[in-house]
Amino acid sequence: MAYSDKVIDHYSNPRNVGQMDKSSDEVGTGLVGAPECGDVMRLQIRVNPETQVIEDAKFKTFGCGSAIASSSLATEWVKGKTISEALTISNTDIVKELALPPVKIHCSVLAEDAIRAAIGDWKKKNHVAEGAEVAVAAH
Amino acid sequence: MNYFEFFSLPLKLHIDVPALEKQFYVLSRKLHPDRFAGKSPVEQEAALAESSLLNDAYRTLKDPIARTQYLLTLEGVQLEEQSKSATDAARATGEQKKQIVPPELLEEVFELNMQLAEMRANKQMGEDEPELRRELMTAKDAFDEKMVQAQEDLEALWTKWDSALEVHDEAAKLSARDGMVVLLNKRSYLRNLVRDVNEALE
Repeated sequence: MAYSDKVIDHYSNPRNVGQMDKSSDEVGTGLVGAPECGDVMRLQIRVNPETQVIEDAKFKTFGCGSAIASSSLATEWVKGKTISEALTISNTDIVKELALPPVKIHCSVLAEDAIRAAIGDWKKKNHVAEGAEVAVAAH
Repeated sequence: MNYFEFFSLPLKLHIDVPALEKQFYVLSRKLHPDRFAGKSPVEQEAALAESSLLNDAYRTLKDPIARTQYLLTLEGVQLEEQSKSATDAARATGEQKKQIVPPELLEEVFELNMQLAEMRANKQMGEDEPELRRELMTAKDAFDEKMVQAQEDLEALWTKWDSALEVHDEAAKLSARDGMVVLLNKRSYLRNLVRDVNEALE
């Protein structure tokens, strides 16, 4: 199967690969996986507690090129966003940006799940209610 | 009609496979196209459809994993890998999506993948080949053992399911069902890891 140029770019030059301190209160960790293809994806965010802006993001993914590209793109996109802005990123946005074929849509879904799981983890650590509106002016 | 009903079997997971095979051959002969050569097109058509159902049912039920997956779908479990609709719903409602893979399993698979990546990197450096080979062999043995263990665990859950079915214990059925989902996911991951280790060993 032919990968798009953007997938190849993210795959051969992934952004923000790495790890953050899971135990830090400022860090949210999302670990998600798709058993059938054997993919596992870990996405971490560091959130500024004052502004709720995601100041840094890291990922490590074991999986196909599309899974790696989707998570690499996800870290690029969440950086600089508030957590409520980041929660609006959808798998469809990722599919469009990377021109993923239908059989690879689940990779984009996994990346969105990873973002949501990381934010969920951060909210839990900081006792922010699920679905609660964030008291920061929208940009 | 589901595959279990087709063979007049209860919805149990422990199956007498030789008996199933015998029944399959008897029915196959009964439905063989030669026996319908002189019959009407409608009867021929019906025999063909029956025969195709027979083949699907037999293929599914004789295989332990396919049989388990089939029963789980009958029990309303969606085994699709990454449900897009559930993610879209989570975004719309702000609720957390329920992940099908438990976090402990993901942690374990993640760690195993880290080790495998390290081994591959070492291999690329071409250093200390014999020692690396040994490490890979050890990893392979460990994964093979986990696969065997997963099979045993699965059969234990079959037993739990079968007895819960007999006494109509819905709670026990549910717990066996959910256990099987976790186990099948684990097995999928293991199978992929075993494949990766084998590739690295080649």
